[in-house]
Amino acid sequence: MTMETSDRFNAREIRQYTFRAGLSRTEGGVMELVSEAYTFVLGGLTLLTMAGAIIVGLRNSLGVGHESALAATVVAPGFHSVTLLQASATVMITLAAALLAVEMTVGPITMTLPQTAWWLGLPVRRRGFIQPGFLKSLIWPAAAAVVVVIPVALGMASAPTPGRIALAVLCGIGLGWLLYGLAAWCQITNTGGWLKVLTGVVTLVAPLTLVGTALYNNTAGTGAITGAQTAWLEYLPTSWPLLVANGALWPLVMVLFALLLLAGVYWNLERITTAKLKEGAAAGAYVAGSLMSMDASELSRSLGGGRSSGNAKIRLPLVFHGGTVFSRSVKTLLSTHATMALRSPLSLLRVLVLAAIPASLAAVQYLGNAVLIAVVLYFCAHFAATSLGATARFANGNPAVDMLMPLPAKIVRRVHYVWPAVGMTVWAAMCFGLLLALGVGSPALLVLAILAGPGLGGATLRAAFRPAPDWNMPAVATASGPIPTGAVRAFLVGPDLTLISLLPVLICLISGGVPPIAFPAQLGLTLIAYAWGTHVRKPKSAKSGGLFGMPPVPVQK
Amino acid sequence: MASLYFGLMSNPKKPSPKSSERRKDVVRAEKLQAGYGTKAVCGVVSFSLHAGQALALVGPNGAGKSTVVKTVVGQLEAVSGTALINGDEVDDRTLDFRREVAVVFDDDAFFPALTVEEHLAIVSAGHGVHDVEEVIASELDFFGLGQLAKSRPYNLSSGQRRRMLLASAFVRPRSLLVLDEPEQRLDTGMRHRLAERLRAEVDAGLALLVVTHDPDFLSTVATKALFIADSIHSMTPAQAAVAISSENPHVD
Repeated sequence: MTMETSDRFNAREIRQYTFRAGLSRTEGGVMELVSEAYTFVLGGLTLLTMAGAIIVGLRNSLGVGHESALAATVVAPGFHSVTLLQASATVMITLAAALLAVEMTVGPITMTLPQTAWWLGLPVRRRGFIQPGFLKSLIWPAAAAVVVVIPVALGMASAPTPGRIALAVLCGIGLGWLLYGLAAWCQITNTGGWLKVLTGVVTLVAPLTLVGTALYNNTAGTGAITGAQTAWLEYLPTSWPLLVANGALWPLVMVLFALLLLAGVYWNLERITTAKLKEGAAAGAYVAGSLMSMDASELSRSLGGGRSSGNAKIRLPLVFHGGTVFSRSVKTLLSTHATMALRSPLSLLRVLVLAAIPASLAAVQYLGNAVLIAVVLYFCAHFAATSLGATARFANGNPAVDMLMPLPAKIVRRVHYVWPAVGMTVWAAMCFGLLLALGVGSPALLVLAILAGPGLGGATLRAAFRPAPDWNMPAVATASGPIPTGAVRAFLVGPDLTLISLLPVLICLISGGVPPIAFPAQLGLTLIAYAWGTHVRKPKSAKSGGLFGMPPVPVQK
Repeated sequence: MASLYFGLMSNPKKPSPKSSERRKDVVRAEKLQAGYGTKAVCGVVSFSLHAGQALALVGPNGAGKSTVVKTVVGQLEAVSGTALINGDEVDDRTLDFRREVAVVFDDDAFFPALTVEEHLAIVSAGHGVHDVEEVIASELDFFGLGQLAKSRPYNLSSGQRRRMLLASAFVRPRSLLVLDEPEQRLDTGMRHRLAERLRAEVDAGLALLVVTHDPDFLSTVATKALFIADSIHSMTPAQAAVAISSENPHVD
């Protein structure tokens, strides 16, 4: 309908108005988040200090050498590592593919969901909404290039000088911006579906080539792959910063290409459609949620564009006729877990890759450091556990099926435990088996890791059934939007039990030996993790007696 | 409400010339097939909508009504065929389109720190509405949100948030209004008031494209209807109201 109108506000004024109104109501700051998490931070530090003391004591008692545990290598003497060049090239191509995959999903040209809902319908030039964020976000690929290129260039350059390293970083920034520009151009022109699939495959497969090469080198004897045979890897565009670090200047042409592409994107910013902006905003919200829950499975799905990769044709029996009601219900739940897992083959592949990543690290020359491997192992274990906990997490979000089962809640929870426990035990066997094949650890460490597997299953369940952050609590403003107080605590539920379950294994890995006491200690922690993970919290009303604080109604048994 | 604009209103704005010409075909869909990518979700649709008409798209869940509407307003690419708005191919990137077309889908996305009236102020100010505060106050009253003007959307009930979204379409000028199941989550009284209001606006020259499942709402608001199911049927509002109420929707 017609209304009296005057000159409209422009996009800049609307953007400023929205931010200023929002900022005027910030209820807390980052310090609130820190203080909220301090007990967990303090607990973590105490645990690390205790673990450090145990490691030093164990190393002394086992007589594994006087070298500091922080510098000790876990790779067996005489082991043929993958060359540093192959490793660097693999790391660069993996990170480049991962960066491109993320950018193509979330979109370099990005807005939040509320912004797309409330700003995009306004009759003002959209450049004012899009351009500031686009220009500011150029800093992220540049920062990533600095963080990645400096250590790799320092390690790879034959004669590193500050000038060469600076030029290598410049070339790295060019590479980052080129990928960023490429993703933006695909977003504007609504193209590049095949490129996204390719980046996904490279990200998954590239780390496996390191393990494959190391295993081959250790069995091939004189036929092992030499540095000369892998020299061509240096000429992959993703490795050009390394060439610059070694004195070549021609790869700097990449910076020119990147600037030209970014200029093209800049002039065409307003060609992007509402649909693309909304798609990017929804993907961004999904990714942020997955990051908040430290959920590898959800994160991978969100970065894959939210499409289901599963095969719905797989149908296992869900209704059983033989046996008691109890056994039939248990079978149904177990069958549900199996169906969901088989319908997500990519998720299972991800678990396999995560089992190989610690071995990939150990396979690289100079990177077989015990502490480094232990840290990577912890994260891989957690992400593998979240992948295997997808069905349990779904049950937590949609409890209707669980509630319909004629089983006590505790039994249902224990049935949910079976799949993650078996999966993580197999994962631990594969991960430490691969490490053992590369000469890291010992058969005793492998057995210890297998004992930790069921404990990791408990951690999976704890993460899957963690209470959701209370969004009614006062919000704290952060760079990524408001976060309710209590969110950080929820964020740590799950990863904490993964650490506790893996503690004896990690201590023994870093110490370089497995004392007999480690086995009962590991068994004890696994039992605790099982009890903790399968514990069903009673609702508050049940704890206090009756509903609304009234005395509980006596129940006739 | 003076603090609502954080000083942005300090620049006096000149009134722009009023749009006078009322074009005939506000919306024209020609052999339009809506879907995702190359996969169509419904049959071929053709219709036109003039100023002072209200077209209701009705049919069972999953028939593709909302997909058709999203295609008509350019939020999805058509699998085949064309959609024209005011004679031009749909492109929601143009200023003219956004000036003329108000769209309300069920997007439950809000700025967490902004109040109800501040959300509406963004829309009004973005469209250069005179007397923003009066317009917003009036719409908040109409939608029963007067007492909640200073509340934040996530503290509202689902139905109140729905009212707020609908209000956002009324605090700005519009020649075409597109609503996707506006009756959802509204109480009966509000549904009735909204239907009466829409009818009055259509009588005054608004073109309305609406997806609905409510026979009463449909009967009050629509001047014609399109039944979308396995096949597409053009109907009168009375026939469509019967069709969506009955087991057998194929009413001729």
